Amino acid sequence: MSVTIRSEGSMFSAYRFIPRSSLYVLAGLAVLGAVIAFTVKDKFYLHVLIMMLFYASISSAWNIVGGFAGQLSLGHAAFFGIGAYTSTLLFINLGVSPWIGMVIGGALATLVAGAIGYPSFRLRGPFFTLVTIAFAEVLRILTLYAHDFTKGSIGISVPFRPAVGNFIFRQVSAYVYVALAFLAITVLVSLWIENSRLGYYLAAIREDEDAAQALGIDAARYKLVAVLISGFLTALGGTFYAQYIFYIEPFQTFSLDFSVLLAMMAIIGGLGTVWGPVAGAFLVTPLQELLQAQLGGELQGLHLVVYGTVLIVVVILLPQGIIPSIAAWGKRTFGQREARPAASPKGDA
Amino acid sequence: MGAILAQVAVSGILLGGVYALISIGLTLIFGVLRVINFAHGEFLMIAMYASFWLFSLYGVDPYGSIVLVVALLFVVGLIVQFLVIRPILKASASMQIAATVGLSTLLQNLALVTMTANYRSVNTPLSKAVISAGPLLLGVSRLVAFLVALAITGLLFLFLQRTYLGKAIRCTAQDRTAALLMGINIDRVYLLTFAIGSALVGVAGALLMPLYPVFPTVGTYFVLAAFVVVVLGGLGNLTGALLGGFIIGLVEAFSGFYVPELKEAVYFVVFIIVLLIRPTGLFGVVGAEEVGLK
Repeated sequence: MSVTIRSEGSMFSAYRFIPRSSLYVLAGLAVLGAVIAFTVKDKFYLHVLIMMLFYASISSAWNIVGGFAGQLSLGHAAFFGIGAYTSTLLFINLGVSPWIGMVIGGALATLVAGAIGYPSFRLRGPFFTLVTIAFAEVLRILTLYAHDFTKGSIGISVPFRPAVGNFIFRQVSAYVYVALAFLAITVLVSLWIENSRLGYYLAAIREDEDAAQALGIDAARYKLVAVLISGFLTALGGTFYAQYIFYIEPFQTFSLDFSVLLAMMAIIGGLGTVWGPVAGAFLVTPLQELLQAQLGGELQGLHLVVYGTVLIVVVILLPQGIIPSIAAWGKRTFGQREARPAASPKGDA
Repeated sequence: MGAILAQVAVSGILLGGVYALISIGLTLIFGVLRVINFAHGEFLMIAMYASFWLFSLYGVDPYGSIVLVVALLFVVGLIVQFLVIRPILKASASMQIAATVGLSTLLQNLALVTMTANYRSVNTPLSKAVISAGPLLLGVSRLVAFLVALAITGLLFLFLQRTYLGKAIRCTAQDRTAALLMGINIDRVYLLTFAIGSALVGVAGALLMPLYPVFPTVGTYFVLAAFVVVVLGGLGNLTGALLGGFIIGLVEAFSGFYVPELKEAVYFVVFIIVLLIRPTGLFGVVGAEEVGLK
């Protein structure tokens, strides 16, 4: 038992960084997801659930750079594609387990993130965004070009060889658990960043980079740390996608639209907040999957018409995003109710 | 070999004229409003569809439809400025980008839903015509696009230099507050600048219709090139956009000749290098992106 006291000490330090209420939300989500995965047998609903968790995870990963550091990247498809292609090529050509390939892909994406981030973070606003788009486009074109290696625009199919070690499961519900674990990791990392020194530095840089510099914050360094973490986590999502969809090709995995989608979810939910991207993904993904399933090829793109409209409306009317707006509304309404009796001289006693 | 290289160079310059025309609207809007319109390519797409339908429904030649398409895009610009751009002028750069990216997604997929993903092109007697100048062959449509691009840029310069509105636009680009103090109606300048920038891409759309097929994502292809051009020339710099257009046209023509599969990668790499080494563009004076129109 003396060992548990020590571990309680380390728990305490984690608790210092991560607010307990958020952990409850996370645990609640995990339980809910697991219960759904256990009870729901309909493959379509499980698929929607998996996509919700998947997008929530990657949008959270994007949010570390796009939200916390305030650098609007539209090139995250590059990291995603690196993750997907690395683990898949290693699996198909060398038989390396995608679990290991996922970590290698993550490491590779981290390297690329550093190579992109280090020079580009000198640029601000639209210039930074444009250079991230250009990097992702170059990677897409190179992937197409190296068709002997990547099969170019034909794409790669992942062979269906179910085994835990192969990261391929016969039961769809297994993917729910993996996606849940992935979401838990990205949310925990986000929570840790938000409440750590790094998070405060990033917030300062986001609000006013010059002022942050003047206070002695090495802006370039912390932005770089943010993009390294973000790139790694996004690449993990790439492997998950390849293992779940069983097919990757350059136009989809490296597409600007995919990068835009990640940013869109985070902005709709609440840029730079831990739960914003999760809420954004949970709101947007079911719509996408339902419309695609209902209309099929008939009105392809209709969900994106809705997304685009929602994004514009949110930016104009709720620029902070949905989650912070709800939080502010809650504080206003419920805060006043609590404050009134206390402030009034004649209490109800 | 010399003749082939000359031919490649000429094609590049002609192509550059088209890029310049698309980019001038983008750079004008940025110079004055300080907003990068990520939906600029979708405006081009709208212009091309308008030109296409005018041709196939009413038999209007794309060159004849220029006036109508320009008027349409001017109105589109007015509406978009009023509904989308005006409310976000004071927002952060991230939010401005998000709003115009949202607009781009909206318009692109609206086109996909209403027009389907089919490639549509027009066939006019002129679209395939070629004239020879010595050893060189010049596509008539390309030549027209190039000459009109030059003429429009010239007219735009005259407009900005000589007219009251043009002076007001330049003044606003240089210093918003000072312009306001001089009694310039900034809101109106923004509205008209955005509409003029959109109308310019309308010209480009009508000129491109005989050359390229139109499809919902056609804008993405051209707008990425236009971003490269605009940054290369210095954001907000009109002459820079013209020269940048020619440079990118040449880069694309020559890389298409030597490394066809990596054609686009080459100009993106040029773009990245320019951004990292000289973010104000090749011809931009340092700090030009703060000063605005040159």
